Amino acid sequence: MILTRVQTPLRSYVASTSASVLVRHVTSSPGLQAQAVKGGYSTETTATISKWTPTSIRTGLIAKKRGMAAVWNDHGARVPVTVLQIENCQVTKTVETPRHRKEPYYGIQVAATDKRPKLVTATMRGHFRKAGVPPKQIVIEFPVTQDALVPVGTTLSALHFVPGQFVDVAAKSVGKGFSGVMKRWNFGGLRASHGVSISHRSAGSTGGHQDPGRVWPGQKMAGRLGGERVTMQNLLVVRIDTVLNLIFVKGAVPGPDGGHVFISDAKRKMISEAIRKTKKGLAVEECLPAGLDVLPFPAGTKEMAEKLPKIVVAPTRGRNPFVALD
Amino acid sequence: MTQDVPDGLPTSLLEGKALMAHLAKTLPTPAAQTLLSTYFNPRHPDHVLPGSVLSVSLPTGPFAGILISIRRKGIDTSFTLRNVVQRTGVEMRFNVCSPLIKDVKIISRAGQNGGKRMRRAKLFYLRDQPGKMTAISTAVKKASS
Repeated sequence: MILTRVQTPLRSYVASTSASVLVRHVTSSPGLQAQAVKGGYSTETTATISKWTPTSIRTGLIAKKRGMAAVWNDHGARVPVTVLQIENCQVTKTVETPRHRKEPYYGIQVAATDKRPKLVTATMRGHFRKAGVPPKQIVIEFPVTQDALVPVGTTLSALHFVPGQFVDVAAKSVGKGFSGVMKRWNFGGLRASHGVSISHRSAGSTGGHQDPGRVWPGQKMAGRLGGERVTMQNLLVVRIDTVLNLIFVKGAVPGPDGGHVFISDAKRKMISEAIRKTKKGLAVEECLPAGLDVLPFPAGTKEMAEKLPKIVVAPTRGRNPFVALD
Repeated sequence: MTQDVPDGLPTSLLEGKALMAHLAKTLPTPAAQTLLSTYFNPRHPDHVLPGSVLSVSLPTGPFAGILISIRRKGIDTSFTLRNVVQRTGVEMRFNVCSPLIKDVKIISRAGQNGGKRMRRAKLFYLRDQPGKMTAISTAVKKASS
């Protein structure tokens, strides 16, 4: 395998003029190596992705959590990653709703994971037919700004997110069933011995005596834990693979393997930061995290993915942890 | 599937079938893949057994020692070498797929293809046996010099 450092002289999809992009080749496919070596970007590709503004909010994607793995960066440090795979994620509707004394609400409805038409209700079959997409398992809406609307029927690609950017990943957390008070609320429980009878993991007292003479609402008790929406914020996108439609994010993601997750640009590290920096008067390129110039706008599509490198890795940031500070 | 499949890869990968196993094979560098499929593959005839003496070449210099444990976890497979350096017992754990490992050399083998077979998979008892460790470290020094 050849480890090629692709220096991109012009404004590019992934890197700024000073940073470099590390493109790794998959050994199992020699054709891929030939493609990745070129690493060129056509001018029309860069033209379509140059309309992003710091106040724009792009659509998100639906992916499936496949598991966790590890990659090693340029310094030789290990980065734990979660592998998210996009299963034919397509836009099924653009929503525009008027609001009282406000700008209209704009949203993009996105659906993923094809499903057999026999298993889909007639209502939904009609809805997917109107959008011109095969029936899907899951349909979700992402709020966006007006300039980020995507035509119905567009197939979104892993390329929508740029290695080096931050994302928020939301999913339904792993269900823990009816769980006790120690697991659910981190209660201390009671002693293991010294006379404690049958209540080693119980909550103990739930309130006062005659005053108030009742249990306050919201008293922490045993009950169902998990199976609720949880968002992990500011996860770094480490690697993109458009061949297998994979996004590698650093760290862990809620939910079990095989569960659907919703990925969007990080609200705090991307969207809020961009707005804050624009208000300070910084240029468009400076409103993005270091190493990024532009984001694919309004969305990274399958057609765009065919023109750009297949596997892209985030540039390594920060100092080398294996070299002493002196 | 409506999507195209690239050269040689099965369509089932796009549905996520055996995807993690495929990544475990393809994510490491070719050098690491070779190590995983030969020295650290228990089914390979050349696999190393605990009790062998290995030398790992790192950017800061080589480290040699007796192999006391192999932790098999696919891409996170790691092994521990123990040696006595300047009268101090030193253990180093290495990730097989780490790019910092340039080369792994076998100085002496244990078990099949080599000398004495260890009756344990993990040789943590050597931490309490300074006599044995002194003998091992002198042998390692002699062999690697």
